[in-house]
Amino acid sequence: MSTYLLRVSIVFSLSIIAFNVKAAPIFELIIQQHLFYPAELVIPADTKVKLVIKNQDDTAEEFESYELNREKVIPGQSSGVIFIGPLQTGIYPFFGEFFPKTAQGKIIVK
Amino acid sequence: MLANAVIIVLREVLEASMIMSLFLAYSQRINLSRFWLLLAIMLGILCAWFYAINISTISSWFDGVGQEVINAGIQLLIFFILLAFIAQALVGANTSKQKQTLIMLMIVAIVLASIREGCEIILYITGFSSVPELLHPVLIGSAVGAGIGISVGVCIYYLLVNMSFKSGVRVGYVMILLIAAAMMSQVIQQLIQADWVISQYPLWDTSNLINERSITGQLLYALIGYEATPTPIQVTAYISAIVIIVCVSFFQLSRHSK
Repeated sequence: MSTYLLRVSIVFSLSIIAFNVKAAPIFELIIQQHLFYPAELVIPADTKVKLVIKNQDDTAEEFESYELNREKVIPGQSSGVIFIGPLQTGIYPFFGEFFPKTAQGKIIVK
Repeated sequence: MLANAVIIVLREVLEASMIMSLFLAYSQRINLSRFWLLLAIMLGILCAWFYAINISTISSWFDGVGQEVINAGIQLLIFFILLAFIAQALVGANTSKQKQTLIMLMIVAIVLASIREGCEIILYITGFSSVPELLHPVLIGSAVGAGIGISVGVCIYYLLVNMSFKSGVRVGYVMILLIAAAMMSQVIQQLIQADWVISQYPLWDTSNLINERSITGQLLYALIGYEATPTPIQVTAYISAIVIIVCVSFFQLSRHSK
C-alpha cells in the first residue's frame, strides 16, 4: 500500500511537468568585475523571457532576486540560463549574492 | 564582506542543520548510536565538493538548466526519503533491521541536503582564493555564519530531547512534515526557473507583510519554506506533499495498531 502511494505521488509530481514549445525571447546579462551589464534590463510585460547570464569573472556569482523568486549560481567563466516571467509591469531588483555591494541591477518590465 | 559571508553561509547551513538536529533528537530518543551523523556529514561534504568542481559541466546540461534539474531531482529525493523515514519511524525501531533502515534513510537525507547548500558555500569561499586580502574576512564570516546555523540546530535538538516524549514526537513530526512540503515547493520553483513547469503569476503577494529579505522571512523560509509570491502550482505541490505524508502516516498507524 505504501509503495502504491509512493507511485501515485511520483506520477502526480511528473504530471505537472509541462514542456513549453513556444520559444521565449532571449535577453543577455554579463557579469564583469562583479558588476552587471546592463544594470537595467528592459523586458516586455506578460512575456516569458530566457535570461542568459554570462559570468566573465574568474569567481562564481549567484544571481538572486527575491522579487523574481529566482536564484542560481553562475560559475566563473561560464554562463547560465534562467527563465523569468510572464511578469506584470514594474521594477524587479536583482543582485549578485556573492558580491552584493557592486553586483546590483534591475529588470524593468514595460 | 564579513557580514555578507555570515549571511550567505548561515542561510545555507540552517536547512541542513535543522534536519540534522531533528534526526539527532530522534536517535537520542530511540537510543541509537550517533556515529551515523559523522559519516553522513563527511559523505555530504565529499558529494558537495564533487558537485562544486563539476558545476560548470552540470550547468550546461539540458540546454543550460542542468543545475535546476539536478537540484529539483535532489529535493524530490529528499521528500521521498523524509516520507519513508516518517513511515518507518511511526512503525517503530524495535528490530535491528528497522534501526538499520532508519539510519540509512537519515544518512541519505543529510548527504542529499548537504550537496546543494555545501556546493554553494564551497564555490563562494574558493572564489576568494585568488583575492587574499578578502579571503581572511570571508573565512571568519563563514565560520561565524556556520556557527550560528549549527547553534540553531543545537537549540532545536535540546528543545526536542527535553520535551516529554509525546510532545517531542509531535513537534518533530510537524517540523519534518513542513520541511518535506517546502522541498516539494522548491522542486516546482526550480522546474519553473528551468521552464520545465509552466510559469504562472503568483497566487498571492505577502512581501509587504513578511519580506523574504527580512530575518523573519529567512527563518520562515528555513522552517516552513516561506515564499512571499508562490505560484498556484507551488502551493498545490506544498499542500499535496502534506496530504501525502499525513495519509501515509495514518495508514502506517492503523496498520501498526492492528
